[in-house]
Amino acid sequence: MKDQETIPTGKMQRAAHFVGTGAKIGGNYVKYYTQKLLNKDVTREDLNQDNADDIYDTLSHLKGSALKVAQMLSMDRGLLPKSYQDKFQLSQYSAPPLSGPLVMQTFIKSFGKTASQLFDTFDSNAINAASIGQVHRATKNGKKLAVKIQYPGVANSISSDLKLVKPFAVRLVGLSVKDADKYFDEVESKLLEETDYKLELTRSVELSQLCEHIPNLHFPSYYPEFSSSKIITMDWLEGMHMKDFLETNPTQETRNKVGQALWDFYDFQVHKLRKVHADPHPGNFLFLNDGTVNIFDFGCVKEIPTDFYENYFKLIDQDIYKDDKKVKEIYANLEMIHESDTEKEIKFFFPLFKKMIDMLTLPFTKDEFDFGDESYFGGIYKFTEDLQNMKEIKESPRARGSRHSLYINRTYYGLYHILFDLRAVVKTKMKV
Amino acid sequence: MDKSTIQKKYIEFMLENGAKPKSVFAFAKMLKLKESEFYSYYSSFDAIEKDFWKNIFSESTAQLQTDETYKSYDAKDKLLAFYYVWIQKLRENRSFIVNMKCSKTDSIAPNSGFLDSFKKEMNDYVSGIMTDGMMNGTVKDRKFLSERYHYAIWFQTIFILNYWLKDNSENFEMTDAAIEKSVNLVFKLLGENTFDTMLDFGKFLFQKAS
Repeated sequence: MKDQETIPTGKMQRAAHFVGTGAKIGGNYVKYYTQKLLNKDVTREDLNQDNADDIYDTLSHLKGSALKVAQMLSMDRGLLPKSYQDKFQLSQYSAPPLSGPLVMQTFIKSFGKTASQLFDTFDSNAINAASIGQVHRATKNGKKLAVKIQYPGVANSISSDLKLVKPFAVRLVGLSVKDADKYFDEVESKLLEETDYKLELTRSVELSQLCEHIPNLHFPSYYPEFSSSKIITMDWLEGMHMKDFLETNPTQETRNKVGQALWDFYDFQVHKLRKVHADPHPGNFLFLNDGTVNIFDFGCVKEIPTDFYENYFKLIDQDIYKDDKKVKEIYANLEMIHESDTEKEIKFFFPLFKKMIDMLTLPFTKDEFDFGDESYFGGIYKFTEDLQNMKEIKESPRARGSRHSLYINRTYYGLYHILFDLRAVVKTKMKV
Repeated sequence: MDKSTIQKKYIEFMLENGAKPKSVFAFAKMLKLKESEFYSYYSSFDAIEKDFWKNIFSESTAQLQTDETYKSYDAKDKLLAFYYVWIQKLRENRSFIVNMKCSKTDSIAPNSGFLDSFKKEMNDYVSGIMTDGMMNGTVKDRKFLSERYHYAIWFQTIFILNYWLKDNSENFEMTDAAIEKSVNLVFKLLGENTFDTMLDFGKFLFQKAS
């Protein structure tokens, strides 16, 4: 490996590095198969080793990207800037588009019928690529429908990709293998759930019905008779993606209305249902000019265990929060500090956690919160930047935070981010 | 008695006994045929096996021809559609096909005798598709090479067949992915660009050396 002299920073340079790795990995496969032709003894381990080395090589060239993985695993404080978390989004697994014949094949395998036999009309050109498949327009009995089709074999490739990433992610982070495992298990099980369209359909139907009463939200109807393990059919939804919505210059009042609807949506799920749409990605919402929101895609749902819920939200209680002894107990329950920690470690982490939680829970402590407050978000970003540079954090081999906090933190982070982009003022007081 | 009944009985026998019948005589007797009558349908057991592969091919292409969308496909999509239908048809006789694997390599070799008739028809079919492709520009016409494209496709066909034979995934979905990805790759290579650049560079190196 050539010594690294500069950190590539430009977008193009980064992209070039990834393309380079892609080409190398492709090359490794070709190498593997040619070697295999000549010599039967070449094993898959050789190939995986070659691949892992090339990925590691690239990652260590890309300090930023490498840190993303590292941060997600070692810090897990929900403070990670959004871009850091993208590493583990399913969109990372973006599959190439399905060909016309493959779409046809998927329908035949699912229903024994072609799409044109099943629907009145079916547009064979996909509208857009979902992370692991694509969406087609169709109509049936005068109803406009959206049909989501999954690429075959995605679940298998997720597992093998994660296996590939794991050894050097662990190496980079400096986490103990056992501690890294709990996060990897969580991420893998969630990603695999997202490939299970039958489960997604059940959850979508259930959660949409339970949340229907929340003002200014709309959910599509789902059609189990046109859905299978690889296909989900739902109503076609109108509306704009957030970027386009913001370009129409919605009034403050409209932005507040939209923001409030989203806040209520999450508040209700977390506190009443204890299971939450854990993918608050702007692409999963469609905004309308009247201040209402269309919500779909319940692929990633996190169920919140009672034990975790109670400890996590106790931290918002100001009375408990003033009592250091109780707070320490909660931190221990949430696996943020460990019995094996030295006095010195506790002295270091305790105030850090307190500061972080102060920042994150600020909106909960007010009746109303202005998410357009740039100084608030600036403070969070600044704090995470500082954390990245602390060598005590980099060198601590223990994971800090329960596996459940991974997706719950991500959910709140995503929600805050959307509300910030909307510059919405929201009534945030907990209704519990 | 007709060819397809004899074929069916032969497959049944193979599946139940795990081996070919002892002799044509014994098999004919089982079918209540005279040995000489058997030869009016097939000259040998090998001929039955050849016919088996050829029939699956013809059934697949016949099914495709009835499909209006198929006719509108370009060369790549036509080949994709063929593979999906073909693999679907093979499913009906998977056990029999698994039996045909060479025990040494645990796979079916591209030059297996029982594939002969299928191979010949497949080559004609592929040449037809490729000519269409060259006419509308999705496949590049290359001197000396174009007539040999079907060789490449034949190896791909055998690759897909062997992939499917080893596929343990639910509903053979990994085979679907293998078809999609391998056909995409082959057509990337058959189209302009990379391959020609490589060829050009190869020619250049060759000139320099000589």
